[in-house]
Amino acid sequence: MNASIENLPNMTCIRPSGRLDFEAAASFQTQVDQAIAESVKRQAPVVMDCNGLEYVSSAGLRVFLVAARAAKAGSVAFIVCSLTPSVKEVFDVSGFGRIIDVQADFATASAKITGA
Amino acid sequence: MITLAEELILLAIEDDGAISYTAGAPGFAPALISAYLVELSTNGRIDADLSTIRVLSSKPTGLPAEDKVLEALAAGPAQSIEAWLQALQASSPALLKMSLGLLVSRGILAAKDSRFMWVLQSRRYPVVEGREQKEAKLRVLGTLLGTDIPTPHDSALVGLARAAQLLEGFLTSAEISRLEERISLVGGIDLFVKAAEAAIRAESTLRATAFMSPMF
Repeated sequence: MNASIENLPNMTCIRPSGRLDFEAAASFQTQVDQAIAESVKRQAPVVMDCNGLEYVSSAGLRVFLVAARAAKAGSVAFIVCSLTPSVKEVFDVSGFGRIIDVQADFATASAKITGA
Repeated sequence: MITLAEELILLAIEDDGAISYTAGAPGFAPALISAYLVELSTNGRIDADLSTIRVLSSKPTGLPAEDKVLEALAAGPAQSIEAWLQALQASSPALLKMSLGLLVSRGILAAKDSRFMWVLQSRRYPVVEGREQKEAKLRVLGTLLGTDIPTPHDSALVGLARAAQLLEGFLTSAEISRLEERISLVGGIDLFVKAAEAAIRAESTLRATAFMSPMF
């Protein structure tokens, strides 16, 4: 699994790709924690663009929950977008979609942040 | 350190040391097994998706009940969380006994034998100091009364306590109704807990169908 983190002027964009399972979860969690800490410092919303995320397991889901919790605690918005069908199914079954702001695609997530 | 399954068990212990699930909450067994699975997953022994539980390491955790479940998972077929909940359900009394034994050996519960109507022997597990039980209840209440996104552990505890009908032990039905939206929102944001909820729902439906079916 890979992840890229981009600090844009109006948001922090995290783009995970590949398989987010137990083996990948710990290092991804570290990256996400750092990105959110940085976002909290500059009070920039966080968008997790999951367009390239092919798979998420139970352990991977916890990364999302911990990330959303940290963002909320730091008073920054946390939006997940572009879920692939298999990842969306896991989000739906686990109830993640009800507690985390999930948007269809990056454009919608960006628009929500900028208020467009 | 109290495990998720131990917290669930502590929530089920009544003031007189009786275990409340025996009073008729059919969800306790799947909820307890789900708690062991969450614990194993958190400790990096297993991982799961919607189709399979995968054993990552069969190295014992040192927790007798969790290790028994891990042994079964390692020796058994690759199958879904739901299938494992079903397969392990028959072992739940033995697993519960192991966890109770550990709580007794750590001085959190006492074991007290008594007789009912001078004949039937029963064992009760009164809490010794009550600190751990109080902490488990406060953890649930804190999650339900707050507005934060819960930790994965607290979310699982709330979800499993609800599935096993243990919230009724320390919240009134009016309070549960008032908190229902928050309970469903934050309780059990986890595949293992959701599988336990589904198993309990399926069993309740089966029971209701059996009850409603004509006998002849």
